[in-house]
Amino acid sequence: MSGIAVFLCRCFGEINRVIDLDSLQKKLEQDHSVVFFDVVESICLADDIKEAASRIRKSGAEKIVIGGCSHLARGTVVIDGLVREGMKRSAIRLVDLREACAWIHADDPANAVQKAWDLIRMEIAALYHRRESDNVTISVCPEVMIVGAGPAGLSAARTLGRLGFKVHLLERGSNPGGMLNLISHVYPSDEKAQEKIKLYVHEVEKNPLIHFYPKAKIKSITGFTGDFKVQVSSAAGEEMFRVGAVILASGARVWLPHGLYRYGKLKNVITQMEVERQFLKGPLTITSAVFIQCVGARNNERPYCATMCCPSSLKNAVRIRDENPDARVFILHRDIMTPGSTLEAYYRNALAKGVQFIRFEETNSPEMLGDERVEGVDVYDVINGIKIKLDTDLVVLSTPLVPNDDNVKLAGMLGLQLDRYGFFSEIYPLHPLETRVDGVFICGSARWPVSSDHAMMQGEGAAVKAAALLGRETVSALSLSRIPGEKFGHASVNAETCTGCGNCVAVCPFDACRLQKMGRKSISRVNKFRCKACGNCVSVCPNGTVQLPEHDYRAVGAMIKRAFGEESAL
Amino acid sequence: MKSESSAPVLIIGGGVAGIGAALDLAGCGHAVHLIERGHILGGQVAKLDKLYPTDHCAFCPLWTDIKKVREHPLIAVHTFTEVKELKRIDDRLHAVMVRKPPVIDENLCVFCGKCAAECPEGAIQTTGDHVYPPSYRIDQDVCNRCGMCTKTCPTAAIDFQRSEETSELLIDDVIWASGFTEVDLTPLPEFGLGTNPDIMTAMEFEEWTAEAGINRGAIIKKSNQSVPRNIAFIQCAGARDQRMLPYCSAVCCMHAVKQAQWVQRRNPAIQCVVFYTDLRTVGRDYYEYSLRDVGGSRVRLIRGRPSLIYPIPQKNGIAIKFENTMTQKREIWKFDMVVLNGNIGSSLKKTDQEKHFSPALSGDGFVMPGSDDISRFACGFSMEPSDVAESVIQASSAAVKAILAKRIK
Repeated sequence: MSGIAVFLCRCFGEINRVIDLDSLQKKLEQDHSVVFFDVVESICLADDIKEAASRIRKSGAEKIVIGGCSHLARGTVVIDGLVREGMKRSAIRLVDLREACAWIHADDPANAVQKAWDLIRMEIAALYHRRESDNVTISVCPEVMIVGAGPAGLSAARTLGRLGFKVHLLERGSNPGGMLNLISHVYPSDEKAQEKIKLYVHEVEKNPLIHFYPKAKIKSITGFTGDFKVQVSSAAGEEMFRVGAVILASGARVWLPHGLYRYGKLKNVITQMEVERQFLKGPLTITSAVFIQCVGARNNERPYCATMCCPSSLKNAVRIRDENPDARVFILHRDIMTPGSTLEAYYRNALAKGVQFIRFEETNSPEMLGDERVEGVDVYDVINGIKIKLDTDLVVLSTPLVPNDDNVKLAGMLGLQLDRYGFFSEIYPLHPLETRVDGVFICGSARWPVSSDHAMMQGEGAAVKAAALLGRETVSALSLSRIPGEKFGHASVNAETCTGCGNCVAVCPFDACRLQKMGRKSISRVNKFRCKACGNCVSVCPNGTVQLPEHDYRAVGAMIKRAFGEESAL
Repeated sequence: MKSESSAPVLIIGGGVAGIGAALDLAGCGHAVHLIERGHILGGQVAKLDKLYPTDHCAFCPLWTDIKKVREHPLIAVHTFTEVKELKRIDDRLHAVMVRKPPVIDENLCVFCGKCAAECPEGAIQTTGDHVYPPSYRIDQDVCNRCGMCTKTCPTAAIDFQRSEETSELLIDDVIWASGFTEVDLTPLPEFGLGTNPDIMTAMEFEEWTAEAGINRGAIIKKSNQSVPRNIAFIQCAGARDQRMLPYCSAVCCMHAVKQAQWVQRRNPAIQCVVFYTDLRTVGRDYYEYSLRDVGGSRVRLIRGRPSLIYPIPQKNGIAIKFENTMTQKREIWKFDMVVLNGNIGSSLKKTDQEKHFSPALSGDGFVMPGSDDISRFACGFSMEPSDVAESVIQASSAAVKAILAKRIK
C-alpha cells in the first residue's frame, strides 16, 4: 500500500478560526497510513497547487486528502490543478472543512473539530483500501456504419466521407433517398425533393470512401465503441466488417389512418403522402381541398405532435392555391405548430395566399359527408362558435410519423434505450444526438420526427460526434466518461468466486455484464468499455464477487465504521 | 485528423450553442477561441432553474460541459470579452477583441466571502450558483469605491485599476452563437410591464422563483412577499405580433407550461392560467409534458390574447381583460401575478449592422448563415428561435461545416 499525503488549508483564517487544525495535525501524526501532512495558508491558487504537487512527489505518497473548501467552491479547482500536475484523479479526496465544518458550525467549535476529524479519517480509510481498475486500450477502427440512407443518413455519410473516413451506408430499400423519394417538394425552401437529394446521392456514388449497401439487413452487431463487429446481408451478399462508430438514421414510417375519417371507404379521403405522390406525377388541378391535422396524433394512443405535419399541410395547401388561385383550401387544425422565425413566416405566407384555417377541438372532430366519394366536411369552428359545412372534392389527412418496427431489434443488438413511443432515446439535455452507448449516435426521424432539412442538419451533427471518436487512434475504457476527466473505474469480477447466478446481468442498464462459459461453469464478465460504474451489479452480487475497485467494499465498510465514531484500525 | 488550415475558429457567444460547437470542433482536433461578453459561460440556460421536458436542473449538465470547455487544451475561453472588429488582411480574417477585466480576478478569488461581508453598500455578490469556477463580482452601480474590499481580500484579487486589454487574433472562421436577449416590452403598454412589480417577464419569474435563487423556490409576490392566489402566464407577449416581433419565439409555450407546473408542485394552492394562441409543443415528450397538469384542475388553458393588463388602482391585484376565443366570452379577471412570455429576440441588433463586423441579418434580426464572409456559420437563437436541444444540434452542424471549410481552403 502506498502512502497518503494530507493537506489542511487554513483558507486565510476562514477554517482555523473555528477548527483547531493543530489538534488535527497531532491526530494525523499517529496515523500510520499517512506519510506526509501539512497545514497551509491556501491551496487553491496556482502557485499553491504547484508547490503541493512537488511536496507530494518528494514524500512518495500516491494518494492525497485535501482538507479545504467544498467541491462547488474551489475544491474542484484544486483537484483539477493536481491532476494537471500528474496526480491521479481518483486518488485525490476532498474534505469540506470550510462550508461543512467551519462555517456552518461556527457556534460549536468542539463538535466542528470532531466532525472535521471524522470526515478526514473517513477519506483516509477510503483511500487506504482503494484499488485501481485496470485500464484497457484498444485501437479505434476508423470506419463508420450508417444505418439508413434517407436525408439524415445521406448527410452524415457525405460529411464523414468528406472528412476522410470510410463509410458503410446501409439501406433497407434499393435506392438512397428515403422519404424524400416519396415526396414532391420540401418545406420551408419549397425545393424539389429530387433535386435536393440528387447532390447527396451523386456524392455517395462518386466518393470511393462511401460503400452503399442496398437491400441491407443487419444480422448482428457485437462489440463496443471503437470496435463494433457487424454482420450484414445485402444485395451483394453476406458480409462482415468492423467499424468504430454506428450512426442510426433509419427514419420512421407514416401512420395510416385506417378507421378514422372513413379513410379507405370514401374514395377521395387520402393521406398527405398520397397527395405528395399525385404532385410527383404532375399538377393537381382541383377546385377545393380540406386538410385535417392531428389525425391519429396528440391523442391517447399517440400522445405526441409529429412536428412535420402542420408545415407539410401548409406547403401542399399553398401549392394547390398556386396551381388554381380559385381553389378553396381549408386547413382544419388543433394548433398550428410552426415555431420559430422561418416556419412562422411560412404560416403567414399560407395566410397571405388565401388558405383558410379553422380550429376544431379533439373532442369534437370534423365529420365526412358523402356515400362513395366525400362531398363535404362538417366541422365545428370553435373560434367562431359555429358549425360549418365545407363542400370539397378532396380531404387530406395529416398523419404522424411512427417509429419503425425494427427499432426494437436494433436497440436490443446495441443495448440502446427506446423512449415510450419507440423512438431512440437521447442523452438529455445537451447531447441530443448521442445515446447511452458510447460510439452510437442517432439522427433524423429515428430519433424524433423531423423535417428533411432538420434531418440533414442532425446527420451532420451526428457525423461530427462520430468523427471526434474515429479521429482518435486509440480509446481507453477509462476515458469514456461523460463528466470531465476520466471515468473513476469499472466493475471487475473475481472469476474464482463467481457462481454465475446472473443477477448482475439482469440489473446492468448498459448491457455490460454478460455470462460467459468458462470450463464447466459460466461466469460473469464485465465489458469495461460499456460499464459506466453505476454499481448496480455490486449491490446485487450475493457474495461480493463483483466490485468497483475504487469503491471497494472494504473501503466503504471502513468509511461507515469511522463515520459512526468507531476507532477502528484500517 | 489533419487539416490544412490551422488557425483557430472564433465562436461568439458562450451559451449552450457556443459550448457545443466549441467541444465538437476541439473534439475533432481544431483550436477554438470562445468569446463571451458576460462573466460566465452557459448563457441563458445558466439562468434557468429547470429544463423541460425532463424537469432536470440545468445546473449539472451545463456545469459538466462548461468544465469540459474550461479544461480542454484546444479551447481558449475569453469571458468579459467582446469582438470589436473583424477584418480581412491579406485574405485572412483577423479579430480584434477587447477584454474588460473584472474587478475581482476569478483565478485569485478563493471564494471566502470576506469582501462581501465587509462591503458597506452590499455591492458584492457571488457570480451565481451555477458557475465554475465560482467567484464574487462587484455591482458597479452600487459600489461607492470605498476600497474596504481591497484591504480585506487575502489574495489581492480585487483591483479597481485594471484596464481594458485589446488583442488581435488570426482566425479561420467565425461561428455566431450569440443567443437571445429580452426585448423591451414597454413600447406595448397594454402588457403593463413596469406598472406593477408583480408583472414580470418569464426570465425574471424564473430567477425570482428559482430553487437556487433568492427565494429558494418559494412562489411569492414581488410587491409584498405574500403568496399569490393566482398567476397568469401570457404567451406571445410581443411575439407573433407585427408591431414588435413577427415570428414565434419557439421556446415560450413549453417554458410557461414548465413554470406553471413548478408553481403547482411547490404550492398547489396557487391557480395558474395560461393565455395562449397556439400551444406549440413540437419535440420529444413536449405534448405529454404539457398535458401532465395543464388542462387539469389547477392549470387552466385559455386561448386568447389579453387586450389589456393593468394594476387595479388602490387595490392589490392586476386586472386582465381578454376574450376567451374558444367560448367567445369577453371577461375581466383579477390576478395576483402576471408572467409575460415571448419577448425574446436575437441579441444581434439590426442597428449593429452599420458596424463593419456585423453578420448579415434577416428582417427578423437572425443571422443568415452563408450570406457573406463573416456570417458563414451560425447556431442557436442567433440563427433561429430554438430550444436547448435544437441549439446544440445546430451547433454540431455549424462546427462540422467550419471543419469542412478548413479542408477546402
